[in-house]
Amino acid sequence: MTNISNRTAIAGYGATEFSKNSGRSELRLAVEATLGALADAGIDPSEVDGMSTFTMDNNSEQEIHRAIGGKDLTFFTRIPQGGGGALGPLQQAAMAITTGIANVVVVYRAMNERSEYRFGQPMHSLPPTSDNVIFAYHGFSGLMTPAAMIALMMRRYMQDTGATSLDFANYAVLARKYASTNPNAFFYQKPITIEDHQGSRMIADPLRLYDCCQESDGGVALVIVSAERARDLRQKPVYIRAAAQGSPGGTVSLGGFYKDNIWPYDECAAAARQLYAQSGLSPQDLDAAILYDHFGPTVFPGLEAYGFCAKGEAKDFVKDGHLEIGGRLPINMHGGQLGEAYIHGMNGVAEAVRQLRGQAVNQVPDARNMLVTAGSGLPTTAAILGVD
Amino acid sequence: MSSAATKGHNAPCSNRDFDFFYRGLEANRLLVQRCADCGTLRSLPSPGCGACGSLDWNECELAGDGMVHSYVIHHHPPLPGFATPLPIALVDMSEGVRILGAMDETDPATITAGLRVKVEFVRRGDIAAFRFRGA
Ligand SMILES: [Zn+2]
Repeated sequence: MTNISNRTAIAGYGATEFSKNSGRSELRLAVEATLGALADAGIDPSEVDGMSTFTMDNNSEQEIHRAIGGKDLTFFTRIPQGGGGALGPLQQAAMAITTGIANVVVVYRAMNERSEYRFGQPMHSLPPTSDNVIFAYHGFSGLMTPAAMIALMMRRYMQDTGATSLDFANYAVLARKYASTNPNAFFYQKPITIEDHQGSRMIADPLRLYDCCQESDGGVALVIVSAERARDLRQKPVYIRAAAQGSPGGTVSLGGFYKDNIWPYDECAAAARQLYAQSGLSPQDLDAAILYDHFGPTVFPGLEAYGFCAKGEAKDFVKDGHLEIGGRLPINMHGGQLGEAYIHGMNGVAEAVRQLRGQAVNQVPDARNMLVTAGSGLPTTAAILGVD
Repeated sequence: MSSAATKGHNAPCSNRDFDFFYRGLEANRLLVQRCADCGTLRSLPSPGCGACGSLDWNECELAGDGMVHSYVIHHHPPLPGFATPLPIALVDMSEGVRILGAMDETDPATITAGLRVKVEFVRRGDIAAFRFRGA
């Protein structure tokens, strides 16, 4: 089997500001982020021959390519599952470049989520696709929002592990602390306390408002090239050491309620096994992580599934301060999607790039290898990124 | 395009894999699928049996009693067709399959994992539905 490990690298990233109302088209956001990423890498837009994004993205590959003055697009592909697919386009880029299908691949996600859609609204009146008839079957009983779907999984996690809302508060406070010193974060200079978290209103019990990610407008893009090419460019190459998708048997999109363990766990564990096999690394080799926080409490089973602590022990791992800079595994130093913005996980990939280059505002000293994960509770994706 | 006359129910967003479930509710029956080849029960409808791959199945009526495996109390945003806060429970049915059901009309504070519940058939507007109540 061809191993994609360390064959490609992120050569540049670009991002718009993160806001609640961007005031411009989603395509414009995508083009701004793409041009920013290419300028960061020092690659002329005419060289872009591959593009990959989320199926949920509304900006077509060829329209971005047309706007940046692209010449010959030979590879374009999309990954489903919303935030669960966040690292899928990166894996697509790594595979395409490793196999010679493309040379310069732009991975992008741009949306006016807050000002135009609002993903947290009840899902109903949908066309009867294979996924939508399942959402409707659950919605028939009132389970209609992503928050409620994840809350149902997390309630069982609490039952099985003894974790409480106070444990979840520890993560929310940490994310907001990191965001408070990140000028790009929506919650810049707005830290919260445990009491603020416990006083925030219930959204879908056990999830409180401060357990939920923000709703955001914005765009992020990455430029991926071969490792050889990256070494000749202006930025320190951030190597793709591993990238994987995970959807073990019994997985249902935000509805895996019919398997033994309904925690948002199994799909992450499936991705983790592949990442460590591809890269030859183990959890002990990772200096920091970006763990997907559509809902902050999912970070707890995530820490367990990716091997940083045993099943059920994340509450103690978090309580003991291991997620702080200086701890065993600092995570989400940009403030996560609770604190910085919700760009379907792509802003977290950008943060990993900054950390590994040594350019982050809340810098983990000498971060060399990082895990980056995607949405859990549905088919998921993940990657390990690193620098020499 | 499709109507109650042709599908036998008024539930929104169904297809020919799911119609039997909603038709069952019209007759006050809580139905799951039983594989015609290996006998495995499945609650979340599917055209195929995950245990043996068979596409042949029969309807199986559940007795309607079970124990709460997990639950959520939905507070926000407002839901079409339900008052909030709305408890929703994932129930281990006595036959060994799980069913998700609303628990409207039950005090959220009384719901715990392990609570024994039974099915109750209700109509929501012109739609035949069900919910769980404490047993
Ligand atoms: Zn079978």
